[in-house]
Amino acid sequence: MRVTKGAKIATGTALLALGVAACGGGGGSSSGGGENPRAASGTVYIRGCEPQTGFVPGNINETCGGTINGFVYSRLVKYNSDTAAPELDQAESIETTDNKVWTIKLKPGLKWTDGTPVTAKNYVDAWNYTAYSPNAQLGSFWFGDIVGFDKVNTSDPDGPDGPKEAPKPETDKLEGLEVIDDLTFKVTLTAPVAVFRTKLGYTAFAPLPEAFFKDPEGFAQKPITNGPFKFVQWDHNSQIIVEANPDYPGPEKPKVKRIVYKMYKDDNAAYADLVSNNLDFTELIPPSALAGDKWKADLGDRAIEGQQGVIQTITFPLYDKEFGGNADFRKAVSYAIDRKTITEKIFNKGRSPINGWVSPIVEGFKDGACGELCTYDPAKAKEYLAKAKAAGYTPPAEFPIWSNADGTHKDWIEATVNSINQAFGPDAGVKFVHKDMPTFAELRDTITQHKIKGAFRTGWQMDYPHIENFLNPLYKTGASSNDGLYSNKELDEKLHEADTATDPAQANALYQEAEAMLQQDMPAIPLWSYGLQAGTSKWVTGVKVTPFGELDPLSIAIKEA
Amino acid sequence: MGRYAIRRLLQLVPVVLGTTFIINYMVWQLPGDPFAGRCGQRPCPDSYVTAMREQFGLDQPILLQYWNFLKNLLTGNLGTDFNGVSVATQLADAWPITIRLALMAVAFEALIGIGAGVLSGLKRGGFIDNVVTISTLFLLSLPIFVTGYLLQWVLGVQFGVIEPTVSDAATIPELIVPALVLASLNMAFTARLTRTSIVENLRADYVRTAVAKGLSNRRVVGVHLLRNSLIPVLTFLGTEVGSLMSGAIITEGIFNIHGIGGLLWRAINGQDYTIVVPVATLLVLVYLITNLLVDLLYGVLDPRIRYE
Repeated sequence: MRVTKGAKIATGTALLALGVAACGGGGGSSSGGGENPRAASGTVYIRGCEPQTGFVPGNINETCGGTINGFVYSRLVKYNSDTAAPELDQAESIETTDNKVWTIKLKPGLKWTDGTPVTAKNYVDAWNYTAYSPNAQLGSFWFGDIVGFDKVNTSDPDGPDGPKEAPKPETDKLEGLEVIDDLTFKVTLTAPVAVFRTKLGYTAFAPLPEAFFKDPEGFAQKPITNGPFKFVQWDHNSQIIVEANPDYPGPEKPKVKRIVYKMYKDDNAAYADLVSNNLDFTELIPPSALAGDKWKADLGDRAIEGQQGVIQTITFPLYDKEFGGNADFRKAVSYAIDRKTITEKIFNKGRSPINGWVSPIVEGFKDGACGELCTYDPAKAKEYLAKAKAAGYTPPAEFPIWSNADGTHKDWIEATVNSINQAFGPDAGVKFVHKDMPTFAELRDTITQHKIKGAFRTGWQMDYPHIENFLNPLYKTGASSNDGLYSNKELDEKLHEADTATDPAQANALYQEAEAMLQQDMPAIPLWSYGLQAGTSKWVTGVKVTPFGELDPLSIAIKEA
Repeated sequence: MGRYAIRRLLQLVPVVLGTTFIINYMVWQLPGDPFAGRCGQRPCPDSYVTAMREQFGLDQPILLQYWNFLKNLLTGNLGTDFNGVSVATQLADAWPITIRLALMAVAFEALIGIGAGVLSGLKRGGFIDNVVTISTLFLLSLPIFVTGYLLQWVLGVQFGVIEPTVSDAATIPELIVPALVLASLNMAFTARLTRTSIVENLRADYVRTAVAKGLSNRRVVGVHLLRNSLIPVLTFLGTEVGSLMSGAIITEGIFNIHGIGGLLWRAINGQDYTIVVPVATLLVLVYLITNLLVDLLYGVLDPRIRYE
């Protein structure tokens, strides 16, 4: 065979490429047999995903990073995995007389994983760092209640798009934070906040050790922490390994030696690994397994069901004349949605219809805030639609409900749209349709710029388990996530009254009254709350899932052989 | 020959410049701020958005951004992605796995596809031909994700022959099933292409001459017939290498292989152009180089082809 010189080079290169590709690799893990393969190493494998930011608590706002950060950082307060009630964790006491000045005392003897003690200064420094706007931390707004926030966190006068720049803050220390001694510090708020104690369990309120401030970027990749587990290793896009912290002082100690946070791109892959006992925990059962309760048949007593603090709503752009509608129109839409059938058919009962604007699992929840407005009643829907028209509102011929195509919202929005159209009847003069924007980023961009033409899906995942978290950020005039620009003076006053109430029971009652006031205008239509479906392998036991839908890392234990 | 290769290599420069500019331009034209979707239902703090835009140069004009990109690419400094993780490290972790998977898939396509094609082409209308025709029809009608989930479920979950997912190391034995899945569709294409080509060339003059010269059957088929019949197949397989590297997203997802496909998928969803652009640029290079190799290999197969 005659081979030209060029061809020799070409085949040689191809062979070389094959050779290079064949190198590398290593050992895999395998399981099987009657022995518990987890027992020897004390290691469990749980489903994970790549965090968007490093291990700096004040800069974390998504679940991939939030879950694993919850394992390695302890805060002043933690939430009970069963009841969602806030309990003291690193704090020995959190005291106040007026909900405005809070004195926080730490438990003695707490340590960072590098051996240095956890001090009041660690908390104050961390909070100052997060709040200081030039540090550009995602969690900065959490400190907005503290005196002096406007002096450390300046906002851009014309937003990030404008040519002007934010002025440099006067100082980098919050005036309202004061270290009293090694273990005590005082927090002064601008106004009384009834739920401040509950808020303290949120990620952004974690402390940071001295080591952080020497090298924030290096620290974010290899942190020193104070929680039940300590950080070992982060292989990007692949896994994060944490190990039990031997110095962890809490009454309940970790029961496993090591947790491997294994990253999956596809829920189905994680599920296949779970069913074949290669993965010990996942909190995301894929829709294909939920269909027809297949996952319960696959997993048997390894299936875990529960509730989590996430609700789904549809919000109207109240600033838009055409698509904002009027109160009667929005009520008509609410009457026209058959929540029960949709949750049964589309979600296999994985979600439950709600009767108010607040998740049923949080403190202060009261059933029935929405009254009969959130029940399916086609006759009433037609009646209210007629009323809305009589009051002078002409709905557009086509009324879109928007969602993002990169999420899994198509099915339920189409079912909802069908439900509304059927209830309204063919001669209603308005037809609801489902429309998609390609990405979540684009949808949110359009919503926050108040340019959206139609109603849109909104979901709220609680930051902390309290009724207040479902009202203030969403419905107060000018609140950060008030996407529809709803404004109601009476509601604002009621919420303010609740915020400033010193008696927690009274505060909760006032919040409930405020929630019931949303009935008048229906700025958003409540749909359902998210259930929780998780599963474990046959090698582990005792697994609990928090109301945030995450694994309680202290609960997981390896079965005795 | 050498001059031809050099000329082709020089042609790569304007093509790479053009494609990278188009990729950059398109990524920047995407609607929606990449940092707006990062804070869920809340708007991100202004200070965060401003700082990130400044860090990644999003506040500069497009041409300047493109210039910086080229400068960084040539100096090998790919910087970090929006998550603050080194892009070069991520690419270095993911590429070997994807290359391994793609080459294994191409090898399966070539071995099984060409083998089946030759067998069925030689005995047209025979039993083997019918088996190949029916089984390729079956494979062609199955989308990759069906084959993938099916094999994963049957072999991995039901019978436990393989692990349902591939470990981080992604060793060659672990990649056999994913590579077969990835190859399944195009294996069928290759088989059919080879078969047609063989059937056509069986009637060619040079084959008749070879037979008349009294050459052994093995030599007629192996040297004369096969070499000439492989040209269209080679063209197909060459472009396959490129598309397999970018198109393994589904297979990588099913078997949780940490390759380029998954990296690209996550980056596109997060509008993280710091990853999308270098990956796309590398894919362009892979396409161009495999095409060049294919063109050069033509000369090996068919001496009539000369390079000017």
